[in-house]
Amino acid sequence: MSSENAIVVSHVGKAFQLYMRRNDQLMQALFGWIKTFYKQHWVLKDVTFEVKKGECVGIIGRNGAGKTTLLQLLCGITRPTKGSIAVNGRVAPILALGSGFDGTLSGRENAMIAAAILGLKRNETLAKMPAIEAFAEIGMFFDQPMKLYSSGMIARLAFAVCANADADILIVDEALSVGDEAFAKKCEDFIDEFAKRGTILVVSHGLDYLKDLCDRVIWIDAGAVREIGPPNDVIPAYVATVRKDEEDEAAATVGG
Amino acid sequence: MILTEPFERAWHHRELIRAVVRREFISRFRDTMLGWVWAIFAPLAMLLAYTTIFSVAAPMVAQGQSTVDYAAASFVGLILFNTFAELAARAPTLLHEHVYFIKRSIFPGETIAWTSVARALIYAAISFGTLIVVRLVTVHYLQWTILLAPLVLIPFTLFLLGMTWFLMALGAFTKDVSYLMVAVVPLMMFGTPVFFTIEQLPANLQPWAKLNLVGDFIAMMRDLVINGKLPSLPMYLACFVVSYAVFLLGYRFYNEYKSVIVDVI
Repeated sequence: MSSENAIVVSHVGKAFQLYMRRNDQLMQALFGWIKTFYKQHWVLKDVTFEVKKGECVGIIGRNGAGKTTLLQLLCGITRPTKGSIAVNGRVAPILALGSGFDGTLSGRENAMIAAAILGLKRNETLAKMPAIEAFAEIGMFFDQPMKLYSSGMIARLAFAVCANADADILIVDEALSVGDEAFAKKCEDFIDEFAKRGTILVVSHGLDYLKDLCDRVIWIDAGAVREIGPPNDVIPAYVATVRKDEEDEAAATVGG
Repeated sequence: MILTEPFERAWHHRELIRAVVRREFISRFRDTMLGWVWAIFAPLAMLLAYTTIFSVAAPMVAQGQSTVDYAAASFVGLILFNTFAELAARAPTLLHEHVYFIKRSIFPGETIAWTSVARALIYAAISFGTLIVVRLVTVHYLQWTILLAPLVLIPFTLFLLGMTWFLMALGAFTKDVSYLMVAVVPLMMFGTPVFFTIEQLPANLQPWAKLNLVGDFIAMMRDLVINGKLPSLPMYLACFVVSYAVFLLGYRFYNEYKSVIVDVI
């Protein structure tokens, strides 16, 4: 793999196994080598693209097009059914902010664990703790049990950890819709700043935001790449198609 | 290298494993006033209860041994068996408990086995420490062979890790595994020499009892801690090899189904 590429995705497909009966999952695990107990559902069919180092790439597509699955594959949460993925550098996924936190622990202790998951060493994390505390801006709640937090505060802390993880590649899944406006602004500012030195892959329905931020946009449609290119080419095409489909649907409803 | 790969992965994630084990203990003792006293109180109360019952209420159970020795021997058996039983009963639900970690972040699921086993062993160590103090108070000496206890602990730990990986992967597919283990594990206590020794069994049952790995570990540990005897070398090596095999196979089984588990859980 060329050292210029941060991410190389080649012919990746991901099939989920659909089971008709509850216990078929166990049967498959035990006797899968004799007989298949599931039907395959291909969420991603054939996806190929590259992301260069320092590039900022947006991913657009309708609900159910496979965007989230693609991000999960890139983070290594699940493995592709076919094809290969190479990721060059430390990834910080901002997927579901704060979902792994423990309510009985303080923000500081949860931050220690979250940073360890991202691959930081204990003394690295301790050195960064003031920066995390400052970024989160949750004041004295930082040392309170997390069960006292509002959902916005949890998101702030989770983002603060990711922002201080020294990542090479940031993978963002519409996380910015949580928290208040001031916090959303702060996250956007951080991402803009990060875009100058690192690689970013961002899924969003905010098309204007992507237009400003991204160098390229990937349009995923029905599990495959429909178009890749500069935002000014791809986004209008995407908008036009979505609008046309809506009109067709409306026409069908009226006609039917 | 296939024989050492699980260790390399654990070393790679050592910071995470340490952070999670710390968390377990912090959150367990945070809302208590006496904290660690509870961890020591439970085994101490149990040990005293055994000693009392076997010396006052049912002295014939001890069969020629002094009641203090018999209670201590039972307690050694109980420490190891409880460590095994707790993990065996809990392992099938471990992945369900950590589902958000596994599905939503880049959490390495195989470390859950390490943290669970570490946690169980720390409690076992507290009980063991209590036992040593009680031995010093009651019989005023310790066998020097107690220093070799870690040699038995190493294969026992490997066995527990392999078992945990296997059960947690299997338990991810169906909750039946969890119910099965909760029902079967307490019964296993009767097939394991906790309150008796393998030698007390009828001769035709003894070879079968030796197939029970947990029982073998208990017998070896008892020899070292209470009887001051060295376990036979072939016996020890056999247990070591089998445990290592369980360890590697459990790890392989978990990794084989790792990506499927994320999708089905």
